[in-house]
Amino acid sequence: MLARFWGTRGSLPVAPTADIIQKKIAHALVASDGRKFADEVEAEKFVENDLSFAAGGTYGGATPCVEIEAGNGSYLICDMGSGLRQFGLDSMRRNAGGHPKVYNFFLSHLHWDHIMGFPFFVPAFDPEAMIRIHSGHPDAEEALRRQQEEISFPVPFDWLRATFEFVTLTPGETYEIDGVKVETKLQHHSHGSYGYRFTDITGRSVIYSTDSEHKLEKMAVEAAFIHFFREADLVICDTMYSLADSVSMKEDWGHSSNIVAVDLCHEAKAKTLALFHHEPTYDDEDIERMHQETIRYEELTRDGPALNVICSYDGLEVRL
Amino acid sequence: MDYSFDERGDAMVVAIRGRVDEATWVAFGVGLSDGIEKAQQARLKRMIIDLTGLDYMSSRGLRVLTVAKREGQEAGVEVELASPNDVMREILAISRYDKLFKITDTVEAAP
Ligand SMILES: [Zn+2]
Ligand SMILES: [Zn+2]
Repeated sequence: MLARFWGTRGSLPVAPTADIIQKKIAHALVASDGRKFADEVEAEKFVENDLSFAAGGTYGGATPCVEIEAGNGSYLICDMGSGLRQFGLDSMRRNAGGHPKVYNFFLSHLHWDHIMGFPFFVPAFDPEAMIRIHSGHPDAEEALRRQQEEISFPVPFDWLRATFEFVTLTPGETYEIDGVKVETKLQHHSHGSYGYRFTDITGRSVIYSTDSEHKLEKMAVEAAFIHFFREADLVICDTMYSLADSVSMKEDWGHSSNIVAVDLCHEAKAKTLALFHHEPTYDDEDIERMHQETIRYEELTRDGPALNVICSYDGLEVRL
Repeated sequence: MDYSFDERGDAMVVAIRGRVDEATWVAFGVGLSDGIEKAQQARLKRMIIDLTGLDYMSSRGLRVLTVAKREGQEAGVEVELASPNDVMREILAISRYDKLFKITDTVEAAP
């Protein structure tokens, strides 16, 4: 089983400016302290080994899109954020090598940052592609058609050539989709959102739980989330805000915090937590600091087996 | 986790011992509500939560603090924190709760 992150930013795509790249290069040059590199490969090793991830790389800025490799060979994709464009192109390269052109999507919800990549999903023009869109929302098709109306986009949905199927999933049911067990859970968010639990044939499981607020006055309902996350190998969790922001200024904005994510994963005895849906105003250093602080919080509050805390970035692959 | 009350000057002091987590947050919330009610009855303007004996608090406890702060606002009682240990100090910083609450080094230092 493998999770591949194509988009990890929340709410709005972001890209580094010239100024940010200049600072990264200047920082790297100072850190190299006059060292000579035989070639770019050697220089890349220095970046990888001697610089922090934020200094030598970037968490990326595409909005949510996560591919899960499991089951019998069709594509499983969570959300259609701006990261979907790159996934679409990559999948065509794989299709040319014989991969089946069957795409199983799972939508957390229909907010713009989670569907904005779809009009740029090139396989939708392939008459041999089968695109099945699973959602807890019965209005998923309406949302996708609406964003391709003339007022928003030049290419209408009806011009797409793939075969489409929309499937509404019900929480509490277990579905078998291409050899993978799929369960869904309603979450607190504007217009509702759905978390997913994917379990492969060996029993390994990945949770995708984004755009999910855990309300202050409804802590009792968290038992259901702990059950949903139970002993998961990987929990991909909305950690957009600090806990203080999520209960004060940004209360009811529909998002969660790194602190609550760690607590839920601890109680669920999950193995790895992936921080996800990064705040668009955060730069790489802010995200890296949040990651370090989350690791520290996990250590401070641990009362059982250690929870591995990783920070998702565009391009990350996690093999389970 | 247990707690006790003590009236000092213009403040009701609630001393917490043990840890506040999944198992104890409900009792902790009851204690804080009780403290606010006592402060209001005694016409005290503040409730200081003395964290000296607290090992640590997870997000459950932190969120209970926010609930208490809101109850306090309605009752005209300001909720403050005092004397966090090193672990608690870190947790308050990581959660950014140090921006939501007035925190003093000792109960005596609370003005
Ligand atoms: Zn979102
Ligand atoms: Zn949303």
